[in-house]
Amino acid sequence: MRRSLTGSLGVFLAIAAFSPLAFGQTGKPADAKKTPAGSSAAKHLTHDLSGVWMQYADGTDPAFSRMNGVDDRTRPPLTPWGQAKFDAAKPLMGPRAVGGQEDSPALHCDPSGPPQLLILPNPWEIVQIPGRMFMFFEEYHIWRTIYTDGRPLPKDPDPTWLGYSVGHWEGDTFVVETVGLNDRVWADLSGNPRSEETHLTERYRRINHDTLEQQIIIDDPKSYTAKWVSPPKLHKLEPKWEIGEWFCAASENQVYDKDVRKPSGAADEPTK
Amino acid sequence: MKIAKLKNKSLPARRFLENSSLLLLGSLPCFRRKFRARRLACSCTFLGALLIFSPIGFAQAGAPVDNPSDAAKMKDSAAPLSHDLSGVWMQYRDGDVPGTPGMNGVNEHFRPPLTPWGQAQVSAAKPLSGAKAVAGKEDNSALRCEPSGPPQVLVLPNPWEIVQIPGRVLMFFEEQHIWREIWTDGRPVPKDPDPSWLGYSVGHWEGDTLVVETVGFNDKEWVDLYGNPRTSTTHLTERYRRVNHDTLEQQIIIEDPRVYTKPWVSPPKLHKLEPGWEIAEWFCVLDENRGYDDVVRKPAGVAPASR
Repeated sequence: MRRSLTGSLGVFLAIAAFSPLAFGQTGKPADAKKTPAGSSAAKHLTHDLSGVWMQYADGTDPAFSRMNGVDDRTRPPLTPWGQAKFDAAKPLMGPRAVGGQEDSPALHCDPSGPPQLLILPNPWEIVQIPGRMFMFFEEYHIWRTIYTDGRPLPKDPDPTWLGYSVGHWEGDTFVVETVGLNDRVWADLSGNPRSEETHLTERYRRINHDTLEQQIIIDDPKSYTAKWVSPPKLHKLEPKWEIGEWFCAASENQVYDKDVRKPSGAADEPTK
Repeated sequence: MKIAKLKNKSLPARRFLENSSLLLLGSLPCFRRKFRARRLACSCTFLGALLIFSPIGFAQAGAPVDNPSDAAKMKDSAAPLSHDLSGVWMQYRDGDVPGTPGMNGVNEHFRPPLTPWGQAQVSAAKPLSGAKAVAGKEDNSALRCEPSGPPQVLVLPNPWEIVQIPGRVLMFFEEQHIWREIWTDGRPVPKDPDPSWLGYSVGHWEGDTLVVETVGFNDKEWVDLYGNPRTSTTHLTERYRRVNHDTLEQQIIIEDPRVYTKPWVSPPKLHKLEPGWEIAEWFCVLDENRGYDDVVRKPAGVAPASR
């Protein structure tokens, strides 16, 4: 009895070793310097996600990230409400951007929140303690808490900038669910909306010591006609980095307008 | 037992208790050769007896204490105080106005004389409250949603939380959803830091007291709510002691020879543990401040506070 169990386990592990799941080769960026498949196939992936992470640069220019953790290319059709919001938004970059017209709330120092907060190309850090995971973002010095003590999502949460997040493990994957988001933050940088009905799911896997895979799934029936599943995005461990202080302060934005933007001929930032 | 609960908490806290328990175990008669056969029962009896009569075993939970002087009386001077400062804390209400929190962690009554430059800054400042306040003229940077850093953020009457991890003490403030980290890995304060809103903080233990030192402040906010300046030459010291399970003592010392002719040493301030609380989200959002002006302040006849 015991021997056959070991035999089955051996077969199972052999299958697992050659399955894509163990190799984690999904969504590998074109110019990643390290092959992200260093893990031993026989081991489970670690539940330790702690460290300072930085998304891989995978844009057209060296060191430029496409910021595509929320990926336009896989976005489902918008609802009429969603379309109205999208049309009204004036993004900072991309084909719809008009210099001087941008109105991303983040430009006037409104807080950012998930998922937008997760796709910006700045260092961020995971710290795990019993019952909670913290994420610290260099972007606007924001921190968020993910409760891992087994509590359910709240039934009728007040809408907030960061929402209310709970997380649990499914094998090697840490699954975060967030509700209670307000509609004041875009889902991304292109003006796609985030409504109060959003149920956000993030999936994290540390596929090897230096690589964290992150996948963002937006379920917002008020804005989108189907679930918006973006391809996984890889982040690189930066063991020597420490999150620097970076606040968005309105007075500093105004000084930047005066000293840099205006002299260069670009229009003012919206300060309405 | 406390060691199990602290298993995943900070290394210093765990080490402190592990060392204490090793000392206890070593001294137990159960671990001498002749008792080896009945060691488990013997150990449990002795340990249990020791724990019952030690302050570490008591976990001074007790009934909530509303009066800070009662809280101070619960200090047990015979036992070393815990290095575990974790929890959600709230300052006691002991201000000049009954029912309002004191906001006196930085205490004006103890402010030393100002330098001429310092006096000029204070005279120009327009606070939100206190004797010099003029409605409609306030220019406290926090009213414009600029970040609130130490010591001001330590003085405001909102819940805050300490979390200790290896090499760092983290503080989370409900005020503006601010977080700061205090490096406890032995690094020194930086010699020539860039000015920032929160400064750069390091901490070390002196017996029962966590001593935090911060340099590298910018000069864009006050040390308190009354217009007393904080500059790039300010050296801030905070001293924390968990005087008992439910009470954290905090003392704030401000040194800035450019502004104050002597160190400004405020009396210690007590904070109460709030075990059922969780830090809620509260951002200061300029658009919301302006909305508040439109809906509440202007109709009330008070001039707008934000710009």
